[in-house]
Amino acid sequence: MKLSAKILFLFILSMSLLVLSTVYAQNKFKLKPDAKGKLCLNCHEDFKDKLKNPFVHTPVKEGNCSECHNPHAASHGKLLDEDANKVCAKCHDNILPKDPKSIHKVVMEGNCVKCHDPHASNNKFVLLKPGNGLCVECHKDIGNAIAKVKFKHNPVEKGCMNCHDPHASAKSDNLLKSDLVSLCTSCHKTDSPAFARQHVNYPVATTNCSSCHDPHGSDKGGILFENVHTPVANKQCGQCHEASSSPTPFKTKRAGYELCLGCHSKTMNEAFDKNRIHWPLVDKTGCLNCHEPHASKEKKLLLGDSKTLCGKCHPDTMEFQGKLAEKEKQENAAAKGKVIKGALTHNPIQEGQCEACHASHASDNAFLLKEPKIIELCGTCHDWSKHTSHPMGDKVADSRNKNLKMDCLSCHRSHGTGNRYIIPFPKVTDLCVQCHKQLKR
Amino acid sequence: MIQVLKSFLVLVILFSPLQSFSAESVKFRHVLSIYLDEKGSGMKQPEGVAWDGKSLLMVADTGNGRLLQFTVQDRTVKGGKEIKIAQLLYPIGVEVNSKGEIFALDGRQRRIIRLSPEGEYKGYLQPEGIPSPSAFVPKSFKIDSRDNIYILDIFSARVLVLAPDGKYQRHVEFPKDFGFFSDLVIDFRGNILLIDCIKKMVFSEQKDFRGFSPLTKSLREYLNFPTSILADNKGTIYIVDENGGGIVILGQDGSYLGRQLTMGWNEGMLYYPSQMRTNEKGEVFIADRGNSRVQIFTFVK
Repeated sequence: MKLSAKILFLFILSMSLLVLSTVYAQNKFKLKPDAKGKLCLNCHEDFKDKLKNPFVHTPVKEGNCSECHNPHAASHGKLLDEDANKVCAKCHDNILPKDPKSIHKVVMEGNCVKCHDPHASNNKFVLLKPGNGLCVECHKDIGNAIAKVKFKHNPVEKGCMNCHDPHASAKSDNLLKSDLVSLCTSCHKTDSPAFARQHVNYPVATTNCSSCHDPHGSDKGGILFENVHTPVANKQCGQCHEASSSPTPFKTKRAGYELCLGCHSKTMNEAFDKNRIHWPLVDKTGCLNCHEPHASKEKKLLLGDSKTLCGKCHPDTMEFQGKLAEKEKQENAAAKGKVIKGALTHNPIQEGQCEACHASHASDNAFLLKEPKIIELCGTCHDWSKHTSHPMGDKVADSRNKNLKMDCLSCHRSHGTGNRYIIPFPKVTDLCVQCHKQLKR
Repeated sequence: MIQVLKSFLVLVILFSPLQSFSAESVKFRHVLSIYLDEKGSGMKQPEGVAWDGKSLLMVADTGNGRLLQFTVQDRTVKGGKEIKIAQLLYPIGVEVNSKGEIFALDGRQRRIIRLSPEGEYKGYLQPEGIPSPSAFVPKSFKIDSRDNIYILDIFSARVLVLAPDGKYQRHVEFPKDFGFFSDLVIDFRGNILLIDCIKKMVFSEQKDFRGFSPLTKSLREYLNFPTSILADNKGTIYIVDENGGGIVILGQDGSYLGRQLTMGWNEGMLYYPSQMRTNEKGEVFIADRGNSRVQIFTFVK
């Protein structure tokens, strides 16, 4: 009996604390009854119009301005109670699914106001703009492409949200609502004779549709990507794959580069005739390390632009370029219009034109360089005789190393160094005295 | 039980400083650099070095399409005999077995060539009895102390292990999730180690599972682009960071022990190095490709 009384006492106490804390939380600033938002609107008059919008954020509607703002003082802008990119999560903590496969960058950054008006708007979910207009503000390239394409994909026209989840996807990459196949087959009947005929009787119902089709629309019939591999365009799948009636219809007839060798023998033989091959060309994946086998929006059926593609295996180089570009931007901004001499970055690399210097398949030269001599390679863009009067060439030995001849890379590093003029030292004199030691002070 | 715990604690206290000492203690000291062959002709972008276990240093002088034979004794280098044969156009790797036979990987043909100790052509290494697929592309190869030949076959994503006469012994499939394997080495226990230049990870052979598993996590904070790997007879692992111009040192458990050397042209510095070897005397040979030389260092403790 005594024990039950104690339990009862503790229960009542905890319930009282819970009620008190709730009451406190609801009115933590001890506002007078009926004060709330009305009090704020006394000064923030322009807000009255805002509140006439059809979609009003719940705390605003209830006059709970202090849900997000501190009426007295705050460490964050706009008197926000929390950091701007955390304040929404106070209530909306269930935006992300458990173990999401992909998350929208703005959500990850907590930048909710990129899409939503925190107070009120004319659009459902207090979105800043209706329909696709909001999405294409950031995804401009997709927006432009969608507007121009000859063959449009109906669901895209109706709205991005037909296929994408704006916050995160629990099931798929690219914020897709479900895996690609389920998404496509929810509209497209894969068991129809027309579908089978179009796909040359290959059982493609469970394969990656976006290997050939651009889901955002295309100028090509069947919304195929802009560049289509000839056998695909001619519906000659059997050139590479086993017959559609085979138990393994998608199995390729040969492995790696050997599959491509049949048609692309000239390119392959030229590559194999060089001293150095780009090794991924002859690994298990072969040509498909860089090229799409079916269709691509990139020329030469590349998997992506050079920056992305080369950066896939050479991230150290690409990450460094990003750092250099950022440094250049900061230094130029700090100079306030004053021109700083000497570049920090090398344009072709910044622009992802790796092929300006390197051969992607094979070369007779180290680093797969296109030219055997550095001076000739750099000379394709730079007229070095105008650039410097420093002795250079095969007859001029590098005084640091008798096996090296003076060329552009004796002083510069083509991928950048973090120093102006892409030299390995912060000051030009530091570089010069490496050889001209008598001038060192 | 308490006694066991106490003993464990004492061991931990005793060995922790030792481990950190060893981590700090591996340093390289430059001894000399080799620039020329015996006729005074300069090297050009050498990519491979090999040591025969006695005094022979073989160099794959890649840019000149030849091999060079040096003898290294008492920290002096002699010789520099050129081996240049029509079948070896662009040597990118070299190995010497216990009988002094020379094996070289030709980058142009992507084939391994066998030479006599004197440098006479003995034929291509033709693996016998390898399971399907029979095609293979050697990216790199190594020879162990028993003269078994290990080939990094990137075409079929496996390591082929051949007997000294080229007969197939076994193979180990690459792991499922990998970037690109650029080199392999056999450690002091006979395990195969692979270096993944994209994921920047070391994988080791798990003999019980007949496969590879990661020995390290990504080493991206320590290196840029690892192209070759070496393990010495104490189990220490050395990784050549080509783009970073340095050597990363790992313990036999894959723990990071340190980084040595830096990028540059002066002696003792590296410029896009490609391969490293050590010997029992604690000498280190590095093919300093970008500087067109081979540099010799010693370990300093």
